[in-house]
Amino acid sequence: MAHIQLNFYSNALKKNANVIVFIPTVSADDYLMGGSVRYGQKGLKYQTLYLLHGSYGDYLDWSRFTGIERYAQDKVLAVVMPSGENSGYVNMAFGEAYETYLTKELPEFMEKMFPVAKKRENTFIGGLSMGGYGAFHCALKCPERYGCAVSLSGALDMQMLQNSRVPHITNMSLNYRKAVYKDFNKIRGSDADIFYLLEEAVKGRKDLPKLYMACGQEDFIFEENENFYNKAEKLSVSVEYIRDHGIHEWDYWDVHIRMALDWLPCKKDLVEE
Amino acid sequence: MAFMQCNFFSPALNYSTNINVFVPTPNSDEVLNHKTADYFEEGNKFQVLYLLHGAYGDYSDWYRLTSIEKYGQTHKLAVVTPSVSNSFYQDMYRGSAYLTYILEELPAFVKSIFPVSDKREDTFVAGLSMGGYGAVKLAFEKPEQYGACASLSGALDIVKTMEMERNKIIEGPFRWDAIFECPEGLEGSDADLFALAKKRISEGRELPKLYQTVGTEDFIYEVNLSAKTKWEEIGIDFTFEEYPGIHDWDFWDTYIQRVLEWLPLKNDSIKEAD
Repeated sequence: MAHIQLNFYSNALKKNANVIVFIPTVSADDYLMGGSVRYGQKGLKYQTLYLLHGSYGDYLDWSRFTGIERYAQDKVLAVVMPSGENSGYVNMAFGEAYETYLTKELPEFMEKMFPVAKKRENTFIGGLSMGGYGAFHCALKCPERYGCAVSLSGALDMQMLQNSRVPHITNMSLNYRKAVYKDFNKIRGSDADIFYLLEEAVKGRKDLPKLYMACGQEDFIFEENENFYNKAEKLSVSVEYIRDHGIHEWDYWDVHIRMALDWLPCKKDLVEE
Repeated sequence: MAFMQCNFFSPALNYSTNINVFVPTPNSDEVLNHKTADYFEEGNKFQVLYLLHGAYGDYSDWYRLTSIEKYGQTHKLAVVTPSVSNSFYQDMYRGSAYLTYILEELPAFVKSIFPVSDKREDTFVAGLSMGGYGAVKLAFEKPEQYGACASLSGALDIVKTMEMERNKIIEGPFRWDAIFECPEGLEGSDADLFALAKKRISEGRELPKLYQTVGTEDFIYEVNLSAKTKWEEIGIDFTFEEYPGIHDWDFWDTYIQRVLEWLPLKNDSIKEAD
C-alpha cells in the first residue's frame, strides 16, 4: 500500500504541482493472510483512476476524508489525485490550463514515472461536485483516453449553477469565475458546457466512455444532475445513474466512491498491456 | 524535479515505513531555457543512490538539511532515502530486520514502482556517520548489488564506536544489547566491516568501489584514519579524502557533492534500448 505525495514541475500549469498517488502493494493483510495478486511482477501495470476533488478543495481531500486507499487496495487500483484549484478542470480563459494538465501532461508523466496502465479500458476518471463535472468534461473532450467516467454529486449543469444562490456559488469569488470563463453567463453551448459536448460527441458518433453518476435527492445540486441525465436519455446515451438519498458531504462520497469502484471493471490484479 | 514522499507496508519490518524518492524530471529552468533533453521518457531508467541517515535521524534528513535534490537534478540521479531508526543498519537481535529491509526489500520495492535501473553499475549507496557505516556494510554484504559506496564521516569501526560510546567518549543512542545478540563478539563478525571485507575477498567476490571522506576536526576523524590504515592492510582499492570540518550538515552538504563527482555517473537516464 504505497501512498505517495508527489511534487513536480508542470509545464502545462507553469508551476509546481502536488499529486497524491496511491499504488497498491503488499499490505499487512496480504502479508499475514497471503494473497494471489501479482505484485512486483516485471512488466505488469496497474489499472488507474484519476480522482478529482471539488471546489474549495485540493489533492489531499480524498485521502483525508474517505477510505479511498482501502477501497482501491481491495480493487488493486492505482489512484491519482491531483489539484485543480477551483478551475472546474478546464483550460481557464485567464489562468492555468488544467484540462491540458489533466488529460495530457499528467497521464504522460504518470506513464513515465509509475507502472500505470495506458490502455483506455484500464484508465478511469472520477470526481465529486466540481470534480464530477471535471471528470465528465475530460471524458467528453478526450473520450479515447478513458474507459469509464464517474461523477458523484457532480456540478454537471455548470450554466445553471452559475445563477444558483447556494453558498458554494455565492462565496466563489467573482474575479476567480471571471478567470475561468470568458463569460460565465455564456457557458451554455460553449466548450465548458458538457451538455453541448455530449451533443457534439453523439453527433460525431464518438465512442464514449461508460458514464456513472450518483446524486442524493436532498443535495442542492440534484436538479443539475437530473438535467444532465435527462439530456443523456434524450440523446440515447446510456448512463448508470444512482439517484438516492444524501446531501453534499463526505459521508455521501465515502459510501458512493466505493459503489463506483464496484461498478468499474476492476480486474483485482495487475494487468498485461 | 519530482520529489516524492512514499509510505508503504514493509513485510521485513512488520510495519509501514516512509521513504523519500527524488526522480529527475524537467524543471522550470530546463524548460524555459530549452535545455530539456530526452531524459524523462517512457521506459528510461535512472541511476539511483540510496542515501542513508545517521543516528538520531530519519528518511527526511538529507532532503531537509542539504540540497541533495538540486544535486540529483544536475546529475540526473534518482535518490532514495529510507529510515532505519538507531539500528546501525543491522537485523536487530531484539528489534526489526533493518538490514534485510534495506538490502533486499527496499530495492525490490523501488524497482517495482519507480523508474530506476536494476543494474549494479547504476546502483550506489552512501551515508553519513552511522549511515556511512551502513553504506559500506550494504555494499560489502551484497557486493553484486552496488557499483560503488561512499562514507561521509562514517562510524566505520563499529567495535571502536561501541567502546567509545560505552566509555562516554562519544554520545550515542545505541542499544547494543538489542542490536546484537553478543556485543562482545562483534570483532571478526559480519558486522565488523574489516572482517566482512576480508571474507568477501577470500570468497573471490569483487567489492564495490569505496569512497571515504571525513572532517579533520570531527570527533570521528581518528576512527576514519584507522579505518583507512585497515583498508590498506587488507588491500582494498579505495579513495580517501579529508577536509577541514566537523560532524555537521555543512560538511555533508558540501561533500555529498564531491561524492557525486566521484561516483561513475552518466548524467543522463538510461534508454530502454541500452
